[in-house]
Amino acid sequence: MTYEEKLARFNAHIEAGGKVEAEDWMPDDYRNGVLKFIEMHANSEIMGAIPEREQVPRAPSLKRKMSLTAKVQDEVGHAQLLYRVAEDLGKSRDAMFSDLVNGKSKFHNVFHYPTKHWGDVAIIGWLIDGAALVTQAALLDSSYAPYTRVLKRICSEEQLHLRHGEDITLELSSGTESQRAMFQDALTRWWLPIIHFFGPRTNVEKDLLLRWKVKTRTNEDLRQEFLDRYVPKVLELGYRIPAPVPFHDEASGHWLIRDEDIDWAPLEAIKRNEGPETARRLGLRKTIYDTHRWVREALAEPAIHAA
Amino acid sequence: METWEVFRRHGHREPFEHCGTVTASGPDMALLTAKECFLRRREGEHLWVVRRSDIHSFQDESMLEVGNDKDYRFNSGYRDVVQKRERAKERAKELASK
Repeated sequence: MTYEEKLARFNAHIEAGGKVEAEDWMPDDYRNGVLKFIEMHANSEIMGAIPEREQVPRAPSLKRKMSLTAKVQDEVGHAQLLYRVAEDLGKSRDAMFSDLVNGKSKFHNVFHYPTKHWGDVAIIGWLIDGAALVTQAALLDSSYAPYTRVLKRICSEEQLHLRHGEDITLELSSGTESQRAMFQDALTRWWLPIIHFFGPRTNVEKDLLLRWKVKTRTNEDLRQEFLDRYVPKVLELGYRIPAPVPFHDEASGHWLIRDEDIDWAPLEAIKRNEGPETARRLGLRKTIYDTHRWVREALAEPAIHAA
Repeated sequence: METWEVFRRHGHREPFEHCGTVTASGPDMALLTAKECFLRRREGEHLWVVRRSDIHSFQDESMLEVGNDKDYRFNSGYRDVVQKRERAKERAKELASK
């Protein structure tokens, strides 16, 4: 069979809703596109653990410290599951780690920002995990089957993280005026990055991953689902949403944001790895990777049984 | 003859699941026997056989227990969210009217 015939058969398979396994034939553009997508997801899980890790020592109680630590552990675990799936597409874990710390691969925009206090933990756990869950749930039907199988596990843990984040949010929101001010302060700083999180409008004509059903929905569609789900919840708790301010469209029933109200410049800077915390976080990632070298080496040795 | 553990997968959504064991002299016969025993009614389209002696497990299963002081790892640890949401909404109203 020629390459063109194989490609035609592959496209027809995808068009009919077929799934792809690691050992199946796939066009190079599909393989590389899926690999890059999953690698970016894995990078984001591991980099996403860092902002919350920064707040573990500031947890207001032992219980909060334990639960936040457990969440960080889950996120790092997601990275390991995803790197494993990515490895099967032909890139070694070492190469992925080194591309990450050398700025050659990407991670999600929200993890390029600083955390200031416990209000940030509430925002990350509730709204950022909420946003992540909207995007990840949409991928459960992706054409790349090994990815969907690990996503099932990841989504169910993210659901728990969302409850954890909402619990912290509600505790702050029921508290003193200064506790509520902490949440408002964090919301004000994080709102624009959260809107950016979904990305600019998808170019449906050009998006290969969408055509091959690796992704199943457009960025703007996912952002809309997030707004409809979370804007009313934030408002009913009495908080003020900063620019870009969503408004309720009576006709459609949706909470909308005008495209022209979104300032994309900060996201463009992050794409160049010039976010506020990019260099420091990648430096920390590299330090952790280097100082833990002995752990990897020890684990690679065959087990030695004590006498 | 050796014992082989048989795993099968139906479609692509669920992982391979253990479905039984067969006795066979080698992997080819094990696959053939497993196909006859476990895919007779299209219970799946993908089949694995693994030599039982290649499977490892914990000798002491109490090693697998989760500490009972870790309720934050479970949804049940956050059961009272509805009451908490009401309380937070009340607090928002109270401060707004101040």
